[in-house]
Amino acid sequence: MNTLIVIVAVGLGSYLFRLSMIILTDRITMPPYLERASGLVVPAAFAALAAAGIAAACSGLGVPRAAAPLAAVVAAVIAVLRTGSSQAAILVGMPVLWIATALLPS
Amino acid sequence: MISLRADRRDVVAGARAMVPWLAGLIPFGLVIGVSAAQADIPALAGWLTGPLIYAGSSQAATIGMLDAGAAPMVVVASALIINIRLIFYSATMARYWRDTPWWWRLVAAYLIVDPSCAVGLNGYRRLSRRRAHAHYFGGAVLLWVCWLAAIGVGATVGAGLPAWLHLEFVMPLYLVGQTIPKLAHPAQRRAIFAAAAVALLALSAPLQLGIALAIAVGVTAGLTGHPDKPTQSPHPLQRTVEVRR
Repeated sequence: MNTLIVIVAVGLGSYLFRLSMIILTDRITMPPYLERASGLVVPAAFAALAAAGIAAACSGLGVPRAAAPLAAVVAAVIAVLRTGSSQAAILVGMPVLWIATALLPS
Repeated sequence: MISLRADRRDVVAGARAMVPWLAGLIPFGLVIGVSAAQADIPALAGWLTGPLIYAGSSQAATIGMLDAGAAPMVVVASALIINIRLIFYSATMARYWRDTPWWWRLVAAYLIVDPSCAVGLNGYRRLSRRRAHAHYFGGAVLLWVCWLAAIGVGATVGAGLPAWLHLEFVMPLYLVGQTIPKLAHPAQRRAIFAAAAVALLALSAPLQLGIALAIAVGVTAGLTGHPDKPTQSPHPLQRTVEVRR
């Protein structure tokens, strides 16, 4: 029961976050710098989540094993730059991760 | 004016624009489903994080902390801090929904999450307001359905997937793929590098505050300097540059 209450509370709070500025902008006008800032949130959030996710994948693996996720990221970046397709990151990065994990000593 | 029936083509176009995102998100949903099934919480409660919270990182943190036996207030506070970015997304979408009916704002707001925001913004920059609403709705609903289905599948069959697949790494790679093309835009480039650097420096920050801090610093860094235009380059990145209104 406690678990369900916690999940409902998080869900309700998250919904209020989603609704917050949509309600408030009826009453306030967003200044131009905030309009500019809103276009930067997605890239900043994605970069922060990506960096934290990669660091989490590497942590606790030790130097040789941590090279596998890093190699996957490097391969993903090169693939996206070469093809211009965002999906190339997963299509190239995951196989590189599997191969590098298999080859690197534990 | 909202007319999803009249703008059926835009609903389909929005759903189609969401499809590439699903390649990265469905494995993440599977991972969350697997973790919910393996956690020491009721299976239904684990799945309910999908429709109730509907934000992957926050769902993963909630399930993980409940499994670890964290105090309820700590779980709620941590999950909400992770979701602070939703306020920014709300601000981003608010200007497009200012004159829409309340029922639309209540439903559309519920569907706000990183990919629906990105696909929706793409529509609002290209299409008329009415058609862009349909475009947003098509993408957001497809994402919602697939997300809940992925968590359900993960919770039921995902526990049998081999660990060597490292499905947990799909999401970071997916985010890398979405971020790299944005480097062509100087303000976004500043935001990306600053946010990534702060996220790494603040890894040990309590309650995952590092992510919220990194977003704030990234946005601030992006705002510094002159309002800019996309770089002029024959590079492939040029194709994906979003033209600012």
